[in-house]
Amino acid sequence: MSDDRPNRRNRASMLANDKTLVIDYKNPQLLKAFLTDRGKIVPSRISGVNARQQRNITRAIKRARMLALLPYTVQ
Amino acid sequence: MSEAVALGQVHSVGTRRGTQREYETVMILRPNVNKPMILELVRKIEGVFKSHGARLLKIENWGLRTLAYPVKRNKTGIYMYWQFIGGSEIVREFERNLSITDSVIRYYTVKIDDDVDPTARPSEITEDLLDAVSEPPPEPEPEPEPAAEEATEGESTGEEQAEAPAEATENTADKKEEAK
Repeated sequence: MSDDRPNRRNRASMLANDKTLVIDYKNPQLLKAFLTDRGKIVPSRISGVNARQQRNITRAIKRARMLALLPYTVQ
Repeated sequence: MSEAVALGQVHSVGTRRGTQREYETVMILRPNVNKPMILELVRKIEGVFKSHGARLLKIENWGLRTLAYPVKRNKTGIYMYWQFIGGSEIVREFERNLSITDSVIRYYTVKIDDDVDPTARPSEITEDLLDAVSEPPPEPEPEPEPAAEEATEGESTGEEQAEAPAEATENTADKKEEAK
């Protein structure tokens, strides 16, 4: 049986490999890239970010949602 | 200064003595507040800070923004950003004051830093700045419109960004299949 899933090592990261880029809940424009068009958080399996980045992104998105900078859901 | 620090002590075993914590708060005000109301709030909070040995480091007014969802029936709100250092009690007291202020519809505080030497952090606060910060976003007509436009533009670019990388991953997946 062939495995059609993309190879984990070859995934393209949505984040540029910029070490100086800070994931911050006050920057909703950046975080929007990690939301689906329905407002859900994109899994790292899709976005290709590493686990640490995914944790930071998730935390930032949840904070931004509380401040109405990002939506909880999009109809 | 030393007595102010004693007042704003952090009650934690893990914290170095004589240090404070640095916090930031983002709050949303009703879109219809006027300058005296904001100024009054700022003055009141300053008083709270002073009486609890805390110090305001930075304050910004992000202007009127479109909210991602209605908050207390408001579709827009004025965002304010505060940065301050203080001890254990300051956040509770600060948020208590915000919760009883009608013009504040949402607030959120985050700890930025532990073990901050209170004397080492300069404060940017001047009377002029407080005055400027209290400036509400323009009277109904002139500027809210550009602000609204910016917001919608931002949304559209955000969606494009979200879509583009998804396509990119699909492409790479296709290539891999071809390679096989």
